[in-house]
Amino acid sequence: MSAVVTATPAVGSRRGSASVPLAWLRERGMGASVLVAAISSAFGVLLISATGYIAAMLSADPYVGDSEMLAFVLSFLTVLLVGVAVYVAAIVTANTFSTVIAGRTRRIALMRLIGASARAQRGEVARQGLAVGVIGAFLGLVAGTAVASAGVWVAGRMLGLDGVAFTLVQPVLLVPAVIVALTTWAAAWAGSRRVLTVTPLQALGGSVEASHDQVTARTGRNAMAIALFVAGGALLAAGIALGLVSPLGVIVAFAGGILSFTGLALGATLVMPPVLRLVGRLFGRSATARLAAENALRYPERSSRMAIGVVMGVTLVTMFAVAIESVKAVLTAAGGGSLPPEMATLLDSFAAIMMGLVGVSAVIAGVGLVNLLTIGVVQRRRELGLLRALGVSNGQVRRMVLLEAAHVTIAALATGLVLGVVYGWAGAQSLLGSVPVDVTLARTAHFVWPAVPFWPVVAIVVATTALTLVAAVVPTRLATRVAPVEALAE
Amino acid sequence: MNLSSTDLGLAARVQSLTKTYGHGEGAVRALDDVSVGIRRGQFTAIMGPSGSGKSTLMHIMAGLDAATSGRAWIGDTDITALSDLELTILRRRRVGFVFQAFNLVPTLDALGNILLPFDLDGRRPSALERARIDGLIETLGLGPRLRHRPHELSGGQQQRVAIARALATAPDLVFADEPTGNLDSRSGREVLGLLAAASREHGQSIAMVTHDPIAASHADRVILLGDGRVVADKPRQSAEEIAAYMLASELGAPATAVGA
Repeated sequence: MSAVVTATPAVGSRRGSASVPLAWLRERGMGASVLVAAISSAFGVLLISATGYIAAMLSADPYVGDSEMLAFVLSFLTVLLVGVAVYVAAIVTANTFSTVIAGRTRRIALMRLIGASARAQRGEVARQGLAVGVIGAFLGLVAGTAVASAGVWVAGRMLGLDGVAFTLVQPVLLVPAVIVALTTWAAAWAGSRRVLTVTPLQALGGSVEASHDQVTARTGRNAMAIALFVAGGALLAAGIALGLVSPLGVIVAFAGGILSFTGLALGATLVMPPVLRLVGRLFGRSATARLAAENALRYPERSSRMAIGVVMGVTLVTMFAVAIESVKAVLTAAGGGSLPPEMATLLDSFAAIMMGLVGVSAVIAGVGLVNLLTIGVVQRRRELGLLRALGVSNGQVRRMVLLEAAHVTIAALATGLVLGVVYGWAGAQSLLGSVPVDVTLARTAHFVWPAVPFWPVVAIVVATTALTLVAAVVPTRLATRVAPVEALAE
Repeated sequence: MNLSSTDLGLAARVQSLTKTYGHGEGAVRALDDVSVGIRRGQFTAIMGPSGSGKSTLMHIMAGLDAATSGRAWIGDTDITALSDLELTILRRRRVGFVFQAFNLVPTLDALGNILLPFDLDGRRPSALERARIDGLIETLGLGPRLRHRPHELSGGQQQRVAIARALATAPDLVFADEPTGNLDSRSGREVLGLLAAASREHGQSIAMVTHDPIAASHADRVILLGDGRVVADKPRQSAEEIAAYMLASELGAPATAVGA
């Protein structure tokens, strides 16, 4: 009997699920997953429309005509950028689902107690993932198409391009939507592994939760991550070496960059916990700081994946900033101390556009961060009530939640900045290592200093700070609303 | 009326306390004009069936909940009009808590949990407090467990850590809410013995909410609540006496039949 009573709060959000089939969509975390799917799908639609429009614009231009090379570069960049966004979105979604399921443990246990099989329970989660993916992808498709048509209209008006033959609504726009729906489904499936570990007995006990999840030893995945990282690192080094004699080194380095970065993302649970621990120590020894630091390490997998999304965003933005700045530095030196203004403007605009585009991935990671912090607070109501009863003031609760958010973002920012500088430098070095800097000398190999541009880095730091503050708003509001009596009532 | 709690020898008291939940026709009166004091240095049990108002009384006495009307004091401090922050600091420094379950912060080890009230105050225990804490750890047999986190401790060990934390600051009053509710009978007896010893040997004032006559029989005084009122206030009783009385009042016999 007590199991039924205590499980009621968890079931609350599903009340009447028989009559309202999609009632579970109101559960905390689902809305954010729809948003993440919608953003990545809209992003894909927008990029495809934009590159299509640019190609149409160029072929309408009598002086440029068909430029296959440019079209190829544009579609390659589109695939790459959308791929990164979808990848980050998949990490966020998998993380969200595994967190939501952690909060549903009692209900799943109750279903198991009544006789539902673990596989059926997991299947239900995957179906919810598919529904979330389809809804989000569709919303993104509609929003992306709407924004794209507005953009085409504005561009046509402003540039006076009436002769551009361009049809906006094309079947190809469905591609990103379908990919997003499918990856969301897959991510939900991947995130629902925990369902299989729930035992029927968990519906009954008032047992204390294990405070620190053991990072499940995924030897296979970790070996894969290390292998990718090592191979990528080797290719990166080879690209840099090749770059000393030919600009083609950048292609080898590019492949190395993708491989090593994929390795890092896969091995997030190896890389991030030590960084998180280090950042946690910076917060000092006060009770709130220690509680916040311990909370961020309570579920190392969750925190690591939460951080790695932000790391990817910061790395990519930093990489473009550093690469372009280094290229500018080399070209300036090669040009005898000055860079043609048109050249500088072109490079700066390219950097700005690319930073803006990879910034979308950072936004998706940010949504994931807000979402996970919020669910984390909701799932900790009882503990927060206990802390309030024992004498933790509302101000201390507020500081704790903010520190928790800062813990993840600072770790991600530091990691991303370091990686971004390394990758950006590797790109510039492998591309320009053979460009003669001293005009009096013949072609000689030389070292390109990584040039770190001031303002983009400031922008990244400010954006991360803003993300931290925004991410803390909703969880703080929820956390300070917990009354101490609740800890005892539940 | 002008006598302070100290003059009365009380660690905490409430006067004409009323607590109503909801309004209009659906309103429930959890406490109905209750006036009672918890004597200093005594181990007091607050008993009553479910819905008698005993938990509500404890929550208000401990500064966890606000009364609808009436006043409450901890020591000589009138807590009725305190702000949330003042109440929080009062709980931190002057009240100790032992709950039925989920007593400990899962991310802190046993020692971290015991020292939490000091850490929240941003200070280290003084030499005197350190000596008391060491003594508690010794008495409660927690020495080898200090570096364990709550999920690595048995239920009885978790309760002992909670008791050490509650006693560490030598608070005006320790509130224990069904402290043995989740324990097997042997661990339960141990916990009750420890609470009784803290009161007997160190003069610690303790108020324990329970519906278990055996638990209440360890107390120096038993206060019985029914329908939001104090229905009996007795010195130390045997478990049989308490059970008989509760049974009688459950069956509807007037309190006077068994009282006195």
